[in-house]
Amino acid sequence: MIQFKDVTKTYPNGVSALRGITLDIEQGDFVAIIGLSGAGKSTLLRTINQMIKISTGTLLVNDIDVTSLKGKKLRRFRRDIGMVFQSFNLIKRTTVIKNVLAARVADMPFYKSMLGLYSKKDRMIALEALDKVGILEKTYTRADQLSGGQQQRVALARTLAQEPQIILADEPVASLDPVTSHQVMSDFVKVNKDLNITVIANMHHVDIALKYARRVIGIKEGLIVFDGPSSDINEDILTEIYGRQLSEDELMGEE
Amino acid sequence: MEKVKQLFRPKPIVLSNGKQVQPKLNPMYYILPILVFITVYSMNITRFSFATLIARGEQFWIIVSRMIPPNFAYFSNVVNPLIATLMMSVVGTLVGVILALPMAYASSTTMNQSNVFRGITKAISSVLRTLPVLVLALIFRIIFGPGTFAGTVAIALFTFTIMTKMFFELIDTADLGPFEALLSSGANRIQAFWAAIMPQLWGQYYSLALYNFEMNIRNAAILGYVGAGGIGIILNERLAWRVYPDVGMILLVLMVTVLIIENISRTIRKKLL
Repeated sequence: MIQFKDVTKTYPNGVSALRGITLDIEQGDFVAIIGLSGAGKSTLLRTINQMIKISTGTLLVNDIDVTSLKGKKLRRFRRDIGMVFQSFNLIKRTTVIKNVLAARVADMPFYKSMLGLYSKKDRMIALEALDKVGILEKTYTRADQLSGGQQQRVALARTLAQEPQIILADEPVASLDPVTSHQVMSDFVKVNKDLNITVIANMHHVDIALKYARRVIGIKEGLIVFDGPSSDINEDILTEIYGRQLSEDELMGEE
Repeated sequence: MEKVKQLFRPKPIVLSNGKQVQPKLNPMYYILPILVFITVYSMNITRFSFATLIARGEQFWIIVSRMIPPNFAYFSNVVNPLIATLMMSVVGTLVGVILALPMAYASSTTMNQSNVFRGITKAISSVLRTLPVLVLALIFRIIFGPGTFAGTVAIALFTFTIMTKMFFELIDTADLGPFEALLSSGANRIQAFWAAIMPQLWGQYYSLALYNFEMNIRNAAILGYVGAGGIGIILNERLAWRVYPDVGMILLVLMVTVLIIENISRTIRKKLL
């Protein structure tokens, strides 16, 4: 359970990214956050795992005040939250399995991670994560030889190898083609259903967001302007979120 | 300065419709006289003269001709100092490049977030980098006494400073995406550096290490001149006694060794990148 209460974030350069967010997200939910570029979607997502510190308000994750976490406790807390990025953020020059194993590094003593001494259990977790997203056969391929969709699956497997309760996805399909986007989103749905992992995704493409998420949160200039089931979204609400009507081709994603 | 520039300013170009374009002053108009002045002034101070160069230049060829043919019998005397020189380079390079790794991390803007700590490490390595390897060898000869140990320490410290600078610039340009991913998974910065940044850079790290090794063999060859061990000692001695065939043998062995190592190193480095 994630609880925002009057959360604001002002960057040192004076930009107000969040201007009073109040929000509850239940464990196991699938939430899409939509809004214009610069509306505060990325900031909102990154406050949850404290990659960005909030300015005021309270932010509870499973009843823990995350703003008070520091050092070791903060890193321990982050173990339970996975993150997936628009540009995948894989180490391109190394193999798929090593990329996935990197998610286990935080749990290891430093000398072991330095020498790359992953335990048998770590290897099993990594391989099973690759199997869950259906690219087990690419285990020993170099990451830069995979297609964009496959790379994002490796990134999802890396996150699963962390055994998280929450996955934060920052524009996970924005650099993928429509067909691949749907495959990757299906993986997220599967992970959400099978493992009861909360998925919170910033989405660029509205129709993909509506198709896969149970709940949609619309953000405009740092404020929530819509929060409800994806079935409740209509033209008027989209106009409210995006400041103007979306044309047919801006709703891309469906083949 | 402005007035001087005014003097050289080219005339405006007038188009057929009367519009004017002011061409920019070619900086060579004032850079060239300055360069000529500096060169002439320096030649005066250093008493550089082409006449002497031509008059005494033939001495160079006379010496070279005395080295030919080299005294092949002297080869057995060259082997041990040569091995000492090589080992100085191997050990010095190894120690230097390993120690440079944490120092490069501490000097990197993207990795080390503490401006104060980074400033201190950068200042230390900048100061050390101003000392040429010969000066370092002189200092270590006083501390550790003459011999290969002083030379090895000098090479290690020299490699350390150069490698630190070369490598922290590579760290600064590495892709930070995987690093962010690792931090978000709960790794600390050093773990994330090791697991996400270094895999991008190992090839370049080994390549730089080999490059330093090539450089250090040439460095090690002259360290004997300041008593820091290696092939330089016998080179100095034979030159002082003017036994040119022996000098020829030493130089021949040195050249062949350097060429072989450079070629091996270049082949490996090509594979690494």
